[in-house]
Amino acid sequence: MQRRQVLKAGLGSVLMALTPLSWAVPGRENADWLFSAVDDLDGKHYIAGVALDGKSRLMIEVPERCHGGCLRPSSHQAVLFARRPGTRMHVIDGDSRQLAHTIAAGEGYHFYGHGVFDLNGRYLYVTANRLEDSAGLVRVYDAANDYAHVRDMSLDGIGPHELRLMPDGDTLVIGLGGIQTHPDYGRVKLNLDTMAPALMLMNRHSGEVVARHAPSHHQLSCRHLDVAADGTVIAGYQFEGPEWESYPLICRLDAGGDFSELALPDEVTTSLRHYTASVAFSRVSATVLVTAPRGNRVLLLDAEQGRLNANLELPDAAGARCDGSGGFLVSSGQGGLYRVTPDTAVPELLASQEFRWDNHLT
Amino acid sequence: MISSLRRLGVAVAFLAAPFSALGSADSDTSTPRDIWHGAIAQQYAELSHASERLEASATRFCQAPDESLKQRLESDWLGAYQAWQAVRFVQFGPIEQNSRGWQLQFWPDRKNLVGSKVEGWLRADTTPTAEDIASDSVAIQGFPAIEYLLYDDAMSDRPLGEPAMCGLLQAISTHLVDTSSALERDWQAFDMHYRDTPRYTETTLANAIQAIETLEQKRLGEPMGLQGAPANRYLAEAWRSGNSIRLVESTLEGLRTGFLPGLSTLLREADAVPLAETFRDQLDKTLAKASDLPSGLTTSLDDQAFRDLQSLYLNIGQLNYLLGTEIAAELGLVRGFNSSDGD
Repeated sequence: MQRRQVLKAGLGSVLMALTPLSWAVPGRENADWLFSAVDDLDGKHYIAGVALDGKSRLMIEVPERCHGGCLRPSSHQAVLFARRPGTRMHVIDGDSRQLAHTIAAGEGYHFYGHGVFDLNGRYLYVTANRLEDSAGLVRVYDAANDYAHVRDMSLDGIGPHELRLMPDGDTLVIGLGGIQTHPDYGRVKLNLDTMAPALMLMNRHSGEVVARHAPSHHQLSCRHLDVAADGTVIAGYQFEGPEWESYPLICRLDAGGDFSELALPDEVTTSLRHYTASVAFSRVSATVLVTAPRGNRVLLLDAEQGRLNANLELPDAAGARCDGSGGFLVSSGQGGLYRVTPDTAVPELLASQEFRWDNHLT
Repeated sequence: MISSLRRLGVAVAFLAAPFSALGSADSDTSTPRDIWHGAIAQQYAELSHASERLEASATRFCQAPDESLKQRLESDWLGAYQAWQAVRFVQFGPIEQNSRGWQLQFWPDRKNLVGSKVEGWLRADTTPTAEDIASDSVAIQGFPAIEYLLYDDAMSDRPLGEPAMCGLLQAISTHLVDTSSALERDWQAFDMHYRDTPRYTETTLANAIQAIETLEQKRLGEPMGLQGAPANRYLAEAWRSGNSIRLVESTLEGLRTGFLPGLSTLLREADAVPLAETFRDQLDKTLAKASDLPSGLTTSLDDQAFRDLQSLYLNIGQLNYLLGTEIAAELGLVRGFNSSDGD
């Protein structure tokens, strides 16, 4: 299966010719594989899985470009989501290394590329758009019942993007991008002058919106985020306004529920070129990493102090996640996979692939 | 203002200069971004003026509809649409605000949203104002919507001079003036930021590469059936009026006047004048091919015109290779994936 799909990808000779990856990631129990949406150099779309022991990998061709993903707790499944305005999510079985399910968003809906499970891996929460009224939703699916759609929870807003589960297990934190799109119009942004983005908290049982924090400018689209063990949230914005203006691009919701935007030096904010991609906490400290592919930057921040610790160059820096021992794995749209640690000055290239990693690592 | 006029003057002089004169004092003091900014400012000014001519023409026609004024209107519509094609390679800066590029031209339109929107307004009880158009969909805001009014078969039994048709025509043309004059003004205001920010050199190059790729793959390749799917003339731009190739020609001309001068200076600074000359020659050759072709895009394989189109397609492919591969490599330009199309 794996071989057939690799060959089908037209990448067989390239991938097979690669020497086995010589890196391994300590401390990531229950997650032996790294998943990401990728495109090959011909523009075909895949879900790639790379074993963290460096010995095997899989490539599954999919009809739409995918974006983010999540791991299902207490299982070996990963779910990857089609990129806005895609209409499918794909469940990968890590044991068989095959596609286990593909679930459609349903007529009149599309996904935004992100989802998250509850703590026991039963319910999957996915950000979605109901096209008839552009309503931003969290759609709920029951993984124990072949991912049957259970219900929808309205966010009273447009364009939800990444979401995560808070440490209480009951609250979802959601980046509401605020941007209206419609599949008939492709990726045209339809409401740039009337956007209303927010960082939101929602009770996953009742659907009640328990907090809604607006960025300091209505064109700061709140997209990607991560949560620390103490409940601190860091979220990254993408600014949709004039590129000659400058606004904060990173916000924080602290464990006490106070919302603020991080005041980085102007030249740092400018260097990000209005665009952040992935946010990842280290899990073993207050360090959080933010990627900025347009600015070719990786920032390491102290989330408690709101302080910039490092600002590293990394071309087309895209996906990021913790490596379990205080460092991070960062992918590049140019094919590289890097390790970044708080005490290294230069990202360490772990592997170089003949494909383009999309914005997120799972 | 004076200094920016002076820069414009430099750009004008430079545009007219042959390659052998590239070592003149003026061009020595102008950086590639100075030259690009001035040339693009002229292109936006021309788009703004051409849109005003279109609006005036629509007003004249609607006051006293007749055939000669209609022909004038069609000609001014095409002129303004072509002025947009000339500067369409610029996809950064003020054009990104409020999806202005999409406002000017919603394309491709696989679901005929342009037709649906126009028909919707024609059925409405009230005549739209430019403000109504501004707050509606991008599909009603640009050149394709006016093309539908002027050329679509569904309009053949509706006189263009009737109040609903004219009201919509004038509202869209006024909105086009609003959009293009804002672009002209904002591009001038963008001046300092553009010239002071080195990465815009890379951005401008990447945009030109993207424009040529789009020409090859989307604007010609897909409707001609050369991108892995059957030919489909409805995927071409301006298929209703049969002006697809005139628009391609205008984009090539726009690259010649708006992009090439700055590129030439950049390549001279990189000690790569022969590459600049090769690119210029290929651009001229491609432009000449386009000029010789009929205005519309044919998809009939038996047609001599289709073979001529294939030749244009191959020439644009060569242009793409020169800029996107050879010149990009010479200048160390690496194109991003998420950095150019992330989410």
